[in-house]
Amino acid sequence: MSDTAMAAAGLGKRFGRRKGWALRECAFRLPAGRVCAVVGPNGAGKSTLLAHAAGLLRPTEGTLTVLGTSPAAARERMAYVAQDKPLHPQLTVAETLRWGREMNPRRWDRAVAERVVADGALDLDAKIRVLSGGQRTRVALALALGKRPELLLLDEPMADLDPLARHELMGTLMADAAEHGTTVVMSSHVVAELEGSCDHVLLIGSGRVRLAGPLDDLLTAHTLVTGPAADLDGHTVIESRTTGRQTTALIRPGGRLAGTWQRTTPTLEELVLAHLRSPEAPSLHLDSDDADDPAEPVEAAV
Amino acid sequence: MVEYRIDRRTGVATYLQIVQQTKQALRLGLLEPGDKLPTAREVVAATAINPNTVLKAYRELEREGLVEARRGLGTFVRKSLGAAPADSPFGAELADWADRARAAGLERDDVAALFNSVLDTHFKGDQG
Amino acid sequence: MTATTALAPPARRGALRPSGLTWALLRVHRSALWFWLLYVAVTAGVILWTYGPGANAAMDELARSGCRDSVMPDLGCDTLGPHGARWDAGVGLGSALLTVAPILIAAWAGASLIGRELEDGTARLAWTQSVTPARWLAAKLAVPAVLIVAGILPLTLLHRAMWAATPELRQDSWNWYDTGIFELHGTLATAYALLGLALGALVGMIVRRSLPALGIALVGTGIVLRLFQNLRPHLWPAETRKSATGFDDIGNMWVGRGSYTSTGARLPDLFCDGKASCVARNDVAGVYLDYHPASHFWPLQLVETGILLALAAAAVLVAFALLKRRSGAAA
Repeated sequence: MSDTAMAAAGLGKRFGRRKGWALRECAFRLPAGRVCAVVGPNGAGKSTLLAHAAGLLRPTEGTLTVLGTSPAAARERMAYVAQDKPLHPQLTVAETLRWGREMNPRRWDRAVAERVVADGALDLDAKIRVLSGGQRTRVALALALGKRPELLLLDEPMADLDPLARHELMGTLMADAAEHGTTVVMSSHVVAELEGSCDHVLLIGSGRVRLAGPLDDLLTAHTLVTGPAADLDGHTVIESRTTGRQTTALIRPGGRLAGTWQRTTPTLEELVLAHLRSPEAPSLHLDSDDADDPAEPVEAAV
Repeated sequence: MVEYRIDRRTGVATYLQIVQQTKQALRLGLLEPGDKLPTAREVVAATAINPNTVLKAYRELEREGLVEARRGLGTFVRKSLGAAPADSPFGAELADWADRARAAGLERDDVAALFNSVLDTHFKGDQG
Repeated sequence: MTATTALAPPARRGALRPSGLTWALLRVHRSALWFWLLYVAVTAGVILWTYGPGANAAMDELARSGCRDSVMPDLGCDTLGPHGARWDAGVGLGSALLTVAPILIAAWAGASLIGRELEDGTARLAWTQSVTPARWLAAKLAVPAVLIVAGILPLTLLHRAMWAATPELRQDSWNWYDTGIFELHGTLATAYALLGLALGALVGMIVRRSLPALGIALVGTGIVLRLFQNLRPHLWPAETRKSATGFDDIGNMWVGRGSYTSTGARLPDLFCDGKASCVARNDVAGVYLDYHPASHFWPLQLVETGILLALAAAAVLVAFALLKRRSGAAA
């Protein structure tokens, strides 16, 4: 198995000649076994990126490989849950799972799919059309996890869910990742929803990759400094605000920090917001250090 | 068995919260040698945190010699921490002291401040 | 790492139980399947009735009326009795049911089979399972095609049997070349239904929405049907008969008739209607008739079938080409 779950090089997508670029010059590498958050504002290109990975869109330029091959060739080994969670409304929950089995005869894991449904206390004989948003999401997730994907692509999976359903489904998702080592890529425009769950971040703004890398590395590469207004030469300033005599800035330290700055590590949300507010700030790509990565994380603990 | 409560607002790294809560449970005697820690799957299913975070916490505990991972079986407690289970004489003395402080009119915050300052003077250099 | 090792082998199933894509397709379109079975059953019932009980009752009535053997013209024999009328209506109903089938199939294929799934995202759901979009579309065309052929071919044979058994009842009210009869006696009914499926699927691929696809497929297939009705007589070389006086030709499919001059040149339409001055002025030598005798049935039938199937194949090819665009890299 390839240790790269997803990699893009010069990826660009334009819908029609007259419209602008939905994605442009995207390059990143996502190691296998990660839980990756694709964050950015609405319309930034998150869904477009995921649809490319799912093999539903053809790049206008550049390439995107998943699991070491083309998305079409990796079809069986990955699962994709679209933002609106399409399901056949006339089928029951049980029939939907059977549908999954028939559509994935070589990979279907009935026990996994049934457990995801059972965790939500869903009525197996209920028709999809009568389910609530959260229940529908759970069935869509059961369909995706029942395929035992090596790569799971989720487009805004938690949108329109209440906090309880959100927490439950994220728990289900993380449990599956823990058990099977699934690489999870999920997009969201609500950053707080992903903090704690993801360990890898891809920030997309206006169709470009602004930040890419392991979450911890990205956070430690930045410092939130507060102090009397002073020179920040030598450091990359992402965003800086001065009120009276006090300056607050998010920087990428380029060496020792002179002066009397009070410094803290930013949260993911602070990091994301600062980059989105400063579209001209340089992007940062950190490749993950796989040596530190738990190569066989899960067996040891399960 | 322990159940972890993750508070995202404290600013304390998630894996550290797991480490601290495990140690707390060891100190209070809620976990004893031979006890099994919850599997990563169980922890993340309940808390929705990243599985690697749990593994990182367990590795940290293992490095400190508090737990050991037995392949295919799970993670088990190797030794307990401290000598102050909740029902030890120290606990009773402290409860007694707290009662008296309260009777003397001290507020909860006063007691906490007092206790912390005593901790700081007597356990200087140790970390929590 | 562990993903491929612990998987259960696909469950073994009976050879005749549908599985995989076929099962998925039949389940998702279960109501359409039931409707089709019912439709075929009702049509078969109607034709069987005109073959058996309906025809018997009409024949009895005919025998009782004395019209059957009478040599003398009898005005009463020109109109049908109540049983005869009922039988006649039955034949009309059976042929109507079979004639509209292609239109209904097209509407369903455009709206439900393809259009709705592209509209509500379930097509993309299917493409991200283990089947390729091309196999998805192939199954969507093949499974209904098999069911269509399995439904319509027996009906065609039944209709032929009924037709052969009741020459006396139809007299001159139904002819082999009538629209609604001609199609049912050969391969055309099946070919039209398959064309309906292909056109519907193509329309669904183009408009990608359920309701517009329904309307366009319905109207489009109706137009194609109508077009071929007008085109039909010209699909095979007609035979020509000439006469100085005119014809009373029954039993042949007329292609056209008109007058011709002494040089053999054809004049459009009938000229002069026997007026001598007109005949002389226009040099009218007589009247011609282009027609298809009953022996042209199979050539006409097969040429039209061939054209329809070629059209259906073209529609399917375009649909696959569109699918490649719609499904991105996944095709």
